[in-house]
Amino acid sequence: MTERITIAFEVDGRPREEEIAPSTVLADLLRDRYAMTGVKTSCERGVCGACTTLIDGVPAASCSVFAFSVDGGTVETIAGQGAPGAPGPVQRAFAECGGFQCGYCTPGMIMLATALLRAHPDPDDERIRSWISSNVCRCTGYQMIIDSVRRAAELLREEAR
Amino acid sequence: MTRADAPAKTTGTARYTADLRPPGMLHAKTLRSPHAHARLVSIDASRARQAPGVHAVLTRDDLAGLAPTYGYFIKDQPVVAMDRVRYTGDVVAAVAAEDEAAALRALELVEVVYEPLPDVPTIDAALAAGAPELFEDAPPGIVPPYGTGASGHLRPRPNVCYEFRYETGPDDVWDSCDHVFEDTFAFSRMNHFHLEPFVTVADARPDRIEIWTSTQNPFPLRKELARVLNVPESRIRVNVPYVGGGFGSKHNCKTEPIAILLSRMAGRPVRYCLTTEEGFLTLSQHAARIRVRTGVMADGTFVARESEVLLDAGAYSDGSPLVAEKAGYRMAGPYRWKHIRSSCSCVMTTTTPAGPFRGFGATQTTWASESQVDMIARRLGMDPYELRVKNLKALGEPFVPGESGIDSDMAEGLDLVAGELGYHGRARVPNRGMGLAIGFKDGGGVNKPAQARVKVSTSGDVYVNAGTVEIGQGASTTLCQVAARVLGAPLERVSYAPIDTDVTPFDQGTNASSGITVMGTAVQRAAEAARAGILEFAAGRLGCAPADLTLEHWAVSLTGELHPLAPMIMQVFGGTGFEFSGEGFFKAPNSHDAPLEAPCVFWETSWAGAEVEVDPETGQVTVLQLVVSGDVGKAVNEQVVRGQDEGAAVMGLAQALFEEMRYDGSELLNGEALDYRVPMAEDLPPRFVSITQEQGHGPGPFGAKGAGEGTMLPIAAAIANAVEDATGARVTALPLTPPRVLTALQARSYE
Repeated sequence: MTERITIAFEVDGRPREEEIAPSTVLADLLRDRYAMTGVKTSCERGVCGACTTLIDGVPAASCSVFAFSVDGGTVETIAGQGAPGAPGPVQRAFAECGGFQCGYCTPGMIMLATALLRAHPDPDDERIRSWISSNVCRCTGYQMIIDSVRRAAELLREEAR
Repeated sequence: MTRADAPAKTTGTARYTADLRPPGMLHAKTLRSPHAHARLVSIDASRARQAPGVHAVLTRDDLAGLAPTYGYFIKDQPVVAMDRVRYTGDVVAAVAAEDEAAALRALELVEVVYEPLPDVPTIDAALAAGAPELFEDAPPGIVPPYGTGASGHLRPRPNVCYEFRYETGPDDVWDSCDHVFEDTFAFSRMNHFHLEPFVTVADARPDRIEIWTSTQNPFPLRKELARVLNVPESRIRVNVPYVGGGFGSKHNCKTEPIAILLSRMAGRPVRYCLTTEEGFLTLSQHAARIRVRTGVMADGTFVARESEVLLDAGAYSDGSPLVAEKAGYRMAGPYRWKHIRSSCSCVMTTTTPAGPFRGFGATQTTWASESQVDMIARRLGMDPYELRVKNLKALGEPFVPGESGIDSDMAEGLDLVAGELGYHGRARVPNRGMGLAIGFKDGGGVNKPAQARVKVSTSGDVYVNAGTVEIGQGASTTLCQVAARVLGAPLERVSYAPIDTDVTPFDQGTNASSGITVMGTAVQRAAEAARAGILEFAAGRLGCAPADLTLEHWAVSLTGELHPLAPMIMQVFGGTGFEFSGEGFFKAPNSHDAPLEAPCVFWETSWAGAEVEVDPETGQVTVLQLVVSGDVGKAVNEQVVRGQDEGAAVMGLAQALFEEMRYDGSELLNGEALDYRVPMAEDLPPRFVSITQEQGHGPGPFGAKGAGEGTMLPIAAAIANAVEDATGARVTALPLTPPRVLTALQARSYE
């Protein structure tokens, strides 16, 4: 129980080295030690997806990932996507299209959409639905999130030009 | 119009109660009853108190000097269990420790001896002769004042904590009816499943209690906490950061009393955050059984309706009496009757307490009422659309005597949705069908007051001080838009001040779809008062009458000439400037003629149309298209009302098809995220259309009406009506799962 291990990884482009208990969960490490409260936790069963981060580019529920497993890897969170005043394209799309309400699922949804749009820059609605069906939004009824993802694809393409 | 909370929420910088970490903060966890019903013989927490990292342990032995039970009308829920536990999950003890793990370990050391009692898992079990009673003595409670035709009754019979009754019109009209139809419907219960858990951070000092909490009604909460804790309200300060969803659940005492008491005992701030599993054990929607008897003429004219609604209130009353009031009252729907008699009872069972949930009784009654309208149409050989149109009340006609007039053209809305769905002249395809339904409820709360303050700084920056909680519904944006419009200010110069009960003006709560009409009017009036002060000041400086001036972009215009305000203000008040401030208040006037003591503020009206395909082999219902519409009078923010309508509709869709808390006796079978199915994006029908109607008859600012609950109401009935249209089979219980639909299909073939 007192055993500690050291891990080295990158969070939103910043190198981190941490001594942790092996049982430390990634979401807790991010929220409690780094105060990265943009990573939301809700069900803590890997179901709702509020805590979605990208681990080595792949969306994952950080509430259900041991911190040691990201040793040597990269973690991307909502904080790396932009900030108020300087939002990233996916964030801008969600703001513009009203793809959020209470905001608790929003960071996870935006990370999920970010991964989707890297893999599929021009997804059709069916693909968007399929991808975002891994996360729960209790407020919006999803249509405005789908609109936001479609808009984000446009903004990313404009930016790439 | 982009929402004001977009930058914070889309960047993850919005702060919620769950995110707060004051220095020295401890974590609380609770021990919950493993029994559905048991006497608490003994409880020994001495070992837990000695456990590593533990700073405080709370049991029934620590409640001296408190009024240790809470509730809305009825104070029956203990802070921690006292003489018994009444459902699996009832809180028995609480621990504050250095971290949650230490608190959980300590809870294992609490020794409790239970003496199991027979449980009362269902409405039937609770009402059976000789059923075990959950409360030996009636808990203290009150009945609010009611107007003409309405009454409330505390504990009218064993295991019923409250009954609401309403009656209007002569009952001899039953004799004139050509047909009388009686049907019974079952309504299943859902969990709110808000993503931010129930959570409170409390810092209780000897002279002052401060909390940050995820609540929908900070002011009534403060009042209730003051009563429970036996301290003046002025010693309790309630702060409400962003709230991550509630859907009705986050009213009154939830995590607050335990967090405060543990903080007081430990002398440190305490965070008490529930897990999703504990959320399932904290509050739910009301399951219900609804019996409706409707008398009609041969031509389809409605005459009389008598109904009995039985709500499963669970183990404690929570908001059940209020929900009963609304369920009983709303049973009539938007139709013309000569006689209405309704009753609604809250039946206590040994299950999770039920309370406010989006729709608030109207979801239950609409399911029954709008299903029965279709059943009656088919029995009379009429089209359900025609039967509705024939009986709908007209625009402006009072809902019942003493009530306000209906502020939507109900037939116009129905027409719109039926047209969009393609209802009329649809092709008959085997196993495919269409159904319509209407949602209708009083909106704006009962007798609900709201106050607001609008302040304007020297440089023309505007602060809206109001107690409506930003819970996702967009109220902070919409209310700022109201102030901006009155003051001629750009929206980016208007901010919604954080809610702090020490300084924020009073509000009764974020509920009843009341934000834009009740608080919106208070904000509008506050902004108008601030504007009046500004114009009076400027008129004094310019030597004209205030009425000669208009206000725009922080300048006054006098016969076309602009006079910037900031220099004028500093000339009088000095370089440090000044703040103009205005107060606003709204409440519907009291009236004893109105059954609920005040006429309803606005009517929340909605319409749904569904097309389904039913698999005759499996009973699987596939929704091919869903069309929903709410009348918002005039949209202050189109994106916001669209979001409310769509979110509510999808919640209704889930309730119709699959989402429910499943019980085996008193045992909840699916009380966690893995087993409990909420709607996902893939559950959206291939065609999902939401239409915001702006019929223009709203009483709120600029003609607005409320939104948020309306489009949840008619979905389940529209889908069940479509299933009957497709198959001839009627399902009277929710959700419309394949086994249930298949049973109905088989019953049909035996007829």
